Parts: sequence; structure tokens; C-alpha cells
Amino acid sequence: MTPTTISVFNLVGNSFCVEANDGDSVFAAISKALHQDQAVELSFQNVEMLTSAFLNTAIGQLYGIFSEEKIRALVKVADMDKVDQALLRRVIETAKSYYQDPARLDASVKQIMGEDA
Amino acid sequence: MTTLRNIHSTYTDYEQIAQFYDEHKDALFDDIPLSLSQWFDANMAAPLGAVLDLLEGNLNDIVFNHIDSSIKSILQKNGFLSHFGFAQQVDVHGTTIQYQKMKPTDGRYFREYVAAQFLHRHELPNMSDGLRKKMTEAMLELFVNAQIHSETKHIYTCGQFFPARHTIVFSIVDIGIGFAEQFRRRFSKKISAVDAIRWAVEDRHTTKLNIPGGIGLALLREFVSLNNGLLQIVSHDGFYQYDRTGEKVHTLNKPFPGSIVSVLFRTNDRRNYSLLGEDDVSDLF
Repeated sequence: MTPTTISVFNLVGNSFCVEANDGDSVFAAISKALHQDQAVELSFQNVEMLTSAFLNTAIGQLYGIFSEEKIRALVKVADMDKVDQALLRRVIETAKSYYQDPARLDASVKQIMGEDA
Repeated sequence: MTTLRNIHSTYTDYEQIAQFYDEHKDALFDDIPLSLSQWFDANMAAPLGAVLDLLEGNLNDIVFNHIDSSIKSILQKNGFLSHFGFAQQVDVHGTTIQYQKMKPTDGRYFREYVAAQFLHRHELPNMSDGLRKKMTEAMLELFVNAQIHSETKHIYTCGQFFPARHTIVFSIVDIGIGFAEQFRRRFSKKISAVDAIRWAVEDRHTTKLNIPGGIGLALLREFVSLNNGLLQIVSHDGFYQYDRTGEKVHTLNKPFPGSIVSVLFRTNDRRNYSLLGEDDVSDLF
């Protein structure tokens, strides 16, 4: 299956992909493809700056809706520099942990409150 | 009359600004006299600007009785005093990072500000592209954090570049609900401001509901450690500082009416940040 290319730069309209709200349009585009079992290639060509807030919304949220297997099978990333890839990996690992282990956050709250975790 | 003396970016000096606000927070239709003497770190214009704005919101007039000439010069160059009836001065040395007051919805404007002040700034020293990108992204993360969490009306920023010390200092300030209140609303538990900050800087700790997050401050702390820089967070009466030597916390005598994040970055850092990345894009998911 030929993947559909999604240009992050074009969707956001800016080389600075930083605001959480800007991630929504990317999230919507990827979600639409995955609901149709369509493979996508997410191109970061011409993207200069990224934040974790943007990537949480654009990609992290996917793990709350789709299985890890499906995302891995159908989503690919292209034109992204190494440092941004490291940030994306961090976002993805955080998202997996957030959806798979919701009790983890509650435990951290109990810990800071001095309660028995 | 209040005199803010010898204001550096230290816990006691944040406290001076909080104390000044506390003394005048109930004033209405009043003249509020203020003097600045000895020293004033330019980035501290951001927290000062935030509290002056709140006081002016009660229709008070801020009256600068005296400002030492060296302080006046820097605060005219960075645009802070333009908000209080003084003329702007040209920054011939190019060491100021302009004072700005923005709405949280001014994301596009903030991007342009950061690009102009850091990315495309020829006066800044010859930093590696990787370091410049990391610093810029850190500032963008801080703005977005304030935008998402603080519920503030405005965001205030200011900074300064110190060529001889090879450092850049930058502060971003909001007049929003603060870390402890964010925590209380999300988890229905009361917590001290210090503990709320300590919790928030840990990796994967987020007060956002139904969306993963909590990386921004953790990433910033890691970068500060690598760069041998400094991170300070003030929120309400909580003060938190992080550098290579570890964490320090204090409780302010009077609360600051919002949150401040100040960062110090070293521009002579020769680490190759471009190599701190991923080689294999195929197994990211």
C-alpha cells in the first residue's frame, strides 16, 4: 500500500510547530488515515522548531485511540533530524506509559503528598 | 516608598518584588512610588512588569521616583520603561533581549520574537546550531507551558545576554493560577507551592487531563544540567532552583501573584547537541 504523505509544515502553516493547538490538525489527519487503515508518511520537511507540547497533541494522543501495533504498522516519519527524532521518541514513550499505566500518575501524587502509594 | 535594591535573579530578590506587590495589592486610584537602585538584572523586568501591570489594573499610577542611571539605561534599551512613559533607547551593544508583554494567544508573535532575539541574532556569540536550537526550543516550551496551564491574561518575557560571562538569562512570567492551584484542580488535593513545583518538574508528571504530557520541564532540566546552566521557578510562595549541584527550595515570605520561570544558559558550551539524537527512525513507534 502506498502511504499518503502528510506535510506537517503545510498543515501547520509554519516552520515553528510549537503550540498544542497546532498539533490538532496533524492528529486529525493521521487519525482519519488510520481509521481507514491507510498508511501515512509524516513529513517534517521545512519544520525548524518542535516542542513536546505540539508532538503530544499531534502524535502522543494517537496512543489513546489506536493500538501500538496499528500505529507502528501504518505511521512512518520522514525528513526529521536526529535531535527531533529523540524528542519524538520521548513523546511516544510518555504517551504509551500514560495510556497503559494511568495509576502511575496517581502514585506520583500520593508520593508527593506523603501518602502511602 | 519602596526601593528595589540590588536585584539579581536570586530567591531574596524575587521575594523583594513579591513583597512590593503585597504592600500595594489593595491600593486603588493611588500613586505607587518606586525606586530602583544599585543593580537590576534586566530579565527581572519580566516579574516586575507583571506586578506593575496588576497594580495598574487597580487604576493606580506607578511613579518612578528614582532610577539609578545605569539601571535606567538598560531598562530603556530593553523597552521595559517604554511602558511607563520613558523613551526607548537604542541598544548599540546588542546585549538586550527585549521586554515583551503578550497575550497567551499571541503564539505566532512569540515565535517571531524568539526567532528575532535568538535564532537570527548576529550579535550573539558563535554558538553551534544544535545549542541555539535547544535554547530556542526551551523558550518555546516555556511559552506553551504558560499558554496551556496558567490561565493568565498576559505573559511577560525579558532577558539579557552577558558576553563576558558567556551567558544568556531569560525570564518568562505569567499572572495565572500557579502550580499548586493547577495541581489542586486536577487531583483535588491541596499541596504547598514548593511541592507542586517539585512534582511538576519530574518527567511525565502532567496536570493535563486525557492527554499525555509532562515532558517540557523535565527536558528543560536535563538541558540545563548538560549545559551547566540554571533553572529557577517561582510560583506563589514557592521557589525552586536547579543546577548541576542539585535542587534548592525556599518558601517566600510573600507570594508572587503568578509564576516565573528563569533560565540561564551558557553560550560557550561546546557540546555537540546535534549528536544527541536518534539514528534509527524506523522503530520510533
